[in-house]
Amino acid sequence: MSLSSKDLDMTGLHWMMQMLQTVDVGLVVLDRSLKIQLWNGFMESHSGIRTAKARDENLFTLFPEIPEQWLTRKIESVFTLNSRAYSTWEQRPHLFKFKSYRPLTGRSELMYQNITIIPLTGIDKSVTHVCILVYDVTDIATGKIELQKANEELARLSRTDRLTGLNNRGHWEERVFTL
Amino acid sequence: MTTPIVICDDSSFARKQMARSLPGGWDVEVSFAAHEKEAIDAIKAGKADILFLDLNMPIMDGYEVLEAIRAEDLPTMVLVVSGDIQPEAHKRVTSLGALDFIKKPVTTEKITEILTNFGIISQTQPQSESELARFDDQQVGLTDLIQEVVNVSMGQAGSLLAGLLDTFIHLPVPKIHLVEYQKLSQILASRENPSLSGVSQGFNGSGISGEAVLVVSDDSVPNMSKLLQYDTSLNGNSDLEVLMDLSGILIGACLKGIAEQLDLEFSYSHPMILGRKQMLAPLLGDNVPQQQVLAIEIDYSIPAYNVECDLILILTADSIPALSERAGYLK
Repeated sequence: MSLSSKDLDMTGLHWMMQMLQTVDVGLVVLDRSLKIQLWNGFMESHSGIRTAKARDENLFTLFPEIPEQWLTRKIESVFTLNSRAYSTWEQRPHLFKFKSYRPLTGRSELMYQNITIIPLTGIDKSVTHVCILVYDVTDIATGKIELQKANEELARLSRTDRLTGLNNRGHWEERVFTL
Repeated sequence: MTTPIVICDDSSFARKQMARSLPGGWDVEVSFAAHEKEAIDAIKAGKADILFLDLNMPIMDGYEVLEAIRAEDLPTMVLVVSGDIQPEAHKRVTSLGALDFIKKPVTTEKITEILTNFGIISQTQPQSESELARFDDQQVGLTDLIQEVVNVSMGQAGSLLAGLLDTFIHLPVPKIHLVEYQKLSQILASRENPSLSGVSQGFNGSGISGEAVLVVSDDSVPNMSKLLQYDTSLNGNSDLEVLMDLSGILIGACLKGIAEQLDLEFSYSHPMILGRKQMLAPLLGDNVPQQQVLAIEIDYSIPAYNVECDLILILTADSIPALSERAGYLK
């Protein structure tokens, strides 16, 4: 028995939906009035808000802690310029205040996020919706922050004397050469 | 009666593309000019009843050619053909006496429409085989082609930025370097600036991969922030904000333009901050296996606000065969 092409299309669509639900990236589709049109499994699990409740709700009503002016500006530019907008964790640690996946061994209570906002076009190629992609970058961010801290600590240790805690000879020599 | 026309563009690819887009059945004698002097000589020799003129050229740009034509009252009708699609550019050339403004990339439909509007041609027909083949002997180098593709894309990106900042942006001629990656930081325009910030975004598709790097002089950032009308009290980290938004717009639009013209699809990485307040060499990094890269440098500037930013598209050595193949379809 073989699948007809129509069945295959339906199966393909079904698979696609399962993958969207499972993929470890947050997907939120917003319309022009910033009402939520799509809310995937990642968003459901981390926010505790079911799709049925999120649908057709305004994003800022559902999440009053999101800086409205900042995000609206970004979303507007995606609508008008038909080009992507980004935000990194360095700029803003998170958009949605989610708990990190590993609250115990993960060294951070909250999830660090990278955000991409992409334009979605309708049949006439004009931008009708935008999609917010939320990436969990907690491991990268904590790694980088710890590395920075360790480097600062090393720099401090290398210029102080262990016994007295005063600046050591090496440090003074370096200072003299920079004069 | 045969109409003598001149196509003036510094890019051999652009000249050929323009010539191949001339409408069918139009009785013309085509001459080519690679720079302003050849164009002006051709007009004086009576070879240019109509001049198709590029705006962004290295020695004397299109605006200066228009001024020269007006000053000497030379007998020619000028149609400007440009990748700089800012409304302000359009206004400037028409005020300098150009008949009209054709946006690159040119197509037969666009040219036909404009020529018909001005009553230069009255009927149109598709180009015959022999008309299409008449410019096949014009040789186009790969660098020329890439330069022109980038020229059109950076025009689109520049226009978006101009609209967003509500100011006129000076568009340069993109520079192409085929160099060792390690030596790149010694030849770019911003090599001596002591304080730069950089953002990099990777792209990949159809065997072509590379990074788009935006380098911004740190003294430009406060002015840029003013132009973007950012509320600094709202964003604690407004410098980063400016950097990320600027790179998103310029890199996004530029790569989109390139992908469209070469008919490919790119995947993009999330932009990464390379560093802040550093010189160019540490920003670009030196921990890279030795390789030859193709780098395209675009220096955007807004002279009135003392804003300088360089967009550098760097393609890896192994992308060049795929790029040549893609480019082959365009010729």
